[in-house]
Amino acid sequence: MFYDLNVPWTEKNDRELQRTIAFLDELGYDVVALTHTISGKIPSDLTCPIPQTLPFPTPPRLTLLRRCTILLSDTATNHRIPQLIPHYDILAARPKDEKTLRLACETLDVDMVSLDLTLRFPVHFKFKMLSAAIARGVKIELCYSQGVLASDASARRNLINNVTQLIRVTRGRGLLLSSEARSVLGIRAPSDVINLCSVWGLGKERGKDGITKEPRSVVEFAKLKRTSYRGAINVIYGGDKPAPEVQGKDKAQRANVEQQRKRKAESAPMGQGGENQPLSNREKKRREKKARLGENTSREGSGETTRMVE
Amino acid sequence: MVRVKHRYLVVNFLYPTATTNASSKGPVPEFIQFHHPTSDQLTHGLLLKSIRDGVSELFGDYGAGVVSTGLKINYLSTATSTMIIRCPRSHYQLVWAALTFMTKLPKPINQPVVVKIVRVSGTIRKAEEEVIRRAQAIIDRAKTAQGSNRDTDPVVGNIVKAAIRRKEANVLVEIDEGSESEASEE
Repeated sequence: MFYDLNVPWTEKNDRELQRTIAFLDELGYDVVALTHTISGKIPSDLTCPIPQTLPFPTPPRLTLLRRCTILLSDTATNHRIPQLIPHYDILAARPKDEKTLRLACETLDVDMVSLDLTLRFPVHFKFKMLSAAIARGVKIELCYSQGVLASDASARRNLINNVTQLIRVTRGRGLLLSSEARSVLGIRAPSDVINLCSVWGLGKERGKDGITKEPRSVVEFAKLKRTSYRGAINVIYGGDKPAPEVQGKDKAQRANVEQQRKRKAESAPMGQGGENQPLSNREKKRREKKARLGENTSREGSGETTRMVE
Repeated sequence: MVRVKHRYLVVNFLYPTATTNASSKGPVPEFIQFHHPTSDQLTHGLLLKSIRDGVSELFGDYGAGVVSTGLKINYLSTATSTMIIRCPRSHYQLVWAALTFMTKLPKPINQPVVVKIVRVSGTIRKAEEEVIRRAQAIIDRAKTAQGSNRDTDPVVGNIVKAAIRRKEANVLVEIDEGSESEASEE
């Protein structure tokens, strides 16, 4: 499985996007994430503008995800980021300076940190900061397409500089590779990307991990975060219903399962909830005792009343 | 016997922006558009020069010097947009990277292109076999695409889909890492 987790999505350019997706499929990618970028303040309308099904046919074996990249310009206005989680499959943060990079690496609830590698960063990347991110499971993203498409040498130079810096600082761990291709020409086949990484000093195995294993962990972890119980347990397959003749009943049960669930809380104390199930021995005994006591009390009660009357 | 060791790169040109005119039978499938034939103006000399320029742009005089000794284009087919490049074994990755950074065909053609390495081989025989295999695979795919257009039976469609399901080995480039003598023994 090969992943490209950053394909910019724009509102109008359907034709180009269709081309890009078809070309990614042709090159052998299996999972592609379309990116919507939010810059500045997070808008009040959080819903994802990328439609669930795109308005054109997509290749059948390609999985499309929706991703949101947040441009972090200052550290104060990010309290609404957790609210974005249910609307997108993946969240990424793109810090602008050292402060926001620290924030994204250490505390922010995102799935990956994506840096604009064509810019020159004034300070060195620190191992402490990035290792904190990797220890949390937040991966660092490297986008190669700007280097491939760059017309001026300085952007490419900065990209190579930043990539080698990041490889040195992270010891090659927790890096994932994606295209961020604004045009279809910026996309390269998986093997070409791996070779590029090995030329840049990452090594072939790590390069392959960067395009298969690391993005997979991001995707699966993000999915687990959204669907599972506390990010720990997820029911993938709950098993079949065994008896066919009970199925009719089952369907009916499933149909008003919501109602039952609601009613359970009310009905349980009244002792009607467990009628269908066979009683446990303990429960039987308890009921017998209750019945006996009930008789006694009623008798006593009547006795009392008579006594009272006397 | 001691001899100079080489690597042979099998290279494919892909045209993601090319648009073939829609034929009478309806739109051309996209993968056929990507595997568009190359212009006949492309010659060995032009291509070699552009590769040399690319290497020297990326790796400077060092790269150009190291690569230039063994660089040669053994085979260029414009009809299938395929070529075989010979380069020195110790530095084939530089040539590969230079090809990855190529976005346009050389000067008089100037067509936007994506270069894809298909196979890295120690012997030219293996490289040629790979070229033939690729060409056949594309023809087969084109045929199945045509067939699936004609009869829209879902069962047949599913079988075709299962048949063209890819594996990791089909996507990743096979690279001969051993010494050349091992590879040439086969």
